[in-house]
Amino acid sequence: MNEHELDTVYTQLCRTMTTVGESDSLLFLARFAMLAIDRIGDAAAAQQLIEQAAEGLPETVRS
Amino acid sequence: MEMKPYPFTARSYPARLPELRAGAETRRHPVAIVGGGPVGFATALGLANFGVPSVLIEADDSVCFGSRAICISRRSLEIIERLGAVDGFLKVGLPWTGGRSFYRDTQVLHFQMPHDENQKLPPMVNLAQYSIEQFLLDAAEQRSELIDIRWNTRLTGIDARADGATLSLSCPAGDYTMEADWVVASDGGRSFLRDALGLQLRGASYEGRYVIVDIELDTERPTERLAYFDPSCNPGSTVLVHRQPDKVWRIDYQLRDDEDPEQATRPENVLPRVASLLDMMGERGKWSPIWITVYKANALTLERYRHGRVLFAGDAAHLVPIFGVRGANSGIDDADNLAWKLAFVVMGLASDRLLDSYSDERVFAAHENLSYGMKSTEFMAPPSFAFSLMRKAVLSLAADHPSLGSLINPRQTSAIAYTESPLNQAAERSSEFEAGPAPGTVLAECPLTIVENGKAREAHLTDLVAPSFTALHFSEDGEIPAAFDELKRDLDGRGIPFRLVPITARVASDRQGIHGWDHTGRLFGMYGAKPGSLYLVRPDGHVAGRWREADAAEAKAAIERILG
Repeated sequence: MNEHELDTVYTQLCRTMTTVGESDSLLFLARFAMLAIDRIGDAAAAQQLIEQAAEGLPETVRS
Repeated sequence: MEMKPYPFTARSYPARLPELRAGAETRRHPVAIVGGGPVGFATALGLANFGVPSVLIEADDSVCFGSRAICISRRSLEIIERLGAVDGFLKVGLPWTGGRSFYRDTQVLHFQMPHDENQKLPPMVNLAQYSIEQFLLDAAEQRSELIDIRWNTRLTGIDARADGATLSLSCPAGDYTMEADWVVASDGGRSFLRDALGLQLRGASYEGRYVIVDIELDTERPTERLAYFDPSCNPGSTVLVHRQPDKVWRIDYQLRDDEDPEQATRPENVLPRVASLLDMMGERGKWSPIWITVYKANALTLERYRHGRVLFAGDAAHLVPIFGVRGANSGIDDADNLAWKLAFVVMGLASDRLLDSYSDERVFAAHENLSYGMKSTEFMAPPSFAFSLMRKAVLSLAADHPSLGSLINPRQTSAIAYTESPLNQAAERSSEFEAGPAPGTVLAECPLTIVENGKAREAHLTDLVAPSFTALHFSEDGEIPAAFDELKRDLDGRGIPFRLVPITARVASDRQGIHGWDHTGRLFGMYGAKPGSLYLVRPDGHVAGRWREADAAEAKAAIERILG
């Protein structure tokens, strides 16, 4: 995936989530996470992603 | 805290009336340019390069107030050099090559704009719009026999017809009408001509507002673009910082959706935020505010830029977001594309269909610029909760996952390749090349020794771009087939500006005229050229056509097809 492709995917994700709406966005992202885990098909890799995603959370400062 | 004035005093010019008969100017003008900003002046200078006179109508009595556009790109500098105005830009402008982005207190991106040892000019220089306009005005005043400036004169009406236009003008010295064959509408974001012709900009307007503050600041900090996302000094906001000449600094910060722009621009609401930013940046020097205003990003364009005898350019034609600095720069590129085409039409050397290609190419360019600009804006002023959330995810991950950093990159302006242009020639011949710029693309820069009548100087390939078609003919030592000399004689006889420039692999100091010697040995390879190859270059530096084994008849046919 090159930078242009990354950009296209990122934008599609943002637009799709906008259409889904804020109240269902959490569910949307949860479904995406599950689909991604399923597609990656590698437990160690998926677990590493879970740890990386959790880094710095919960946020101790505002915003 | 007192507002300081800008470190610039604009000279004021009075209005004057031309020779009139019964309220109408007696002289008819081939080209009337409405709007004396960077785009209007660039158009006038471009026309002057072909000896085509123009009259420039400017409502104010001086160059602009306020720093406004502050980033001039390499492509714009190349154009401005051809207009004879670049010295001031390089002397006063602050060159820069990259920038840094921060999320809270962590640097998440350090980007560099394309810059290598092949380049003649820096990727970008910062200077205030009043300087941009002043340097262009200085050059225009040197050509006063061709460029007639009507200061303090406002367009109040236009009767645009198929064969020309009657402009109604008003100035303190009186009202009068003017006849022109062609009208260039470079009258800015709130274009009178757009309204007068009943035209609408189409696209998107963003809700996000930015406060723009110019301050005078004492500091040794280097020149680079700085972007702060969710900084401690202004949580939840985005802040941009740009250095300008004469100790002027530009700060842009995002307002929250619920902030009232009128309140938000009051000094008592702005100055504490500036103080807090400077404190966070570690700046301890004295500072004073100069100017405060508010900005809203737009991504808008007309569908077409040619409407009969009226040609739209710059902000009158399109409004692009500031993020990525494509506003003034794309306007200057419009002027460069327009000037040669309008000159050829006025000189009777081309059919007016050539001006339709101005619209085709520059509308295409606007869409490219808008799509990059919108990308940048989606990041700088996220248009929905989803963009906001995903941005936060990217910013918080980018320091440890640098491959995500490209999403933070502001995608700075660069020249557009007119891949679909009707002016592109000999596509099937172009596809024989394995390297080099295809038709519609600008020349790739490379150092070159230019030898002119025995005198050699170290220069660059883009120095060969001129107000003419330029045929770059590659050879070992400058031998050109006789057919090309015949082509030159033929075109000269018809008054079509054309230059034949040998590009030699070996030094050929005994040749007459001009040639370019590839002293680095890189140029042939960069262009996929071998002895006998030809690149036909337009006056605006874009490639018109290219042939690995050049044929004078094909080059001639290409030029004739372009001119219609």
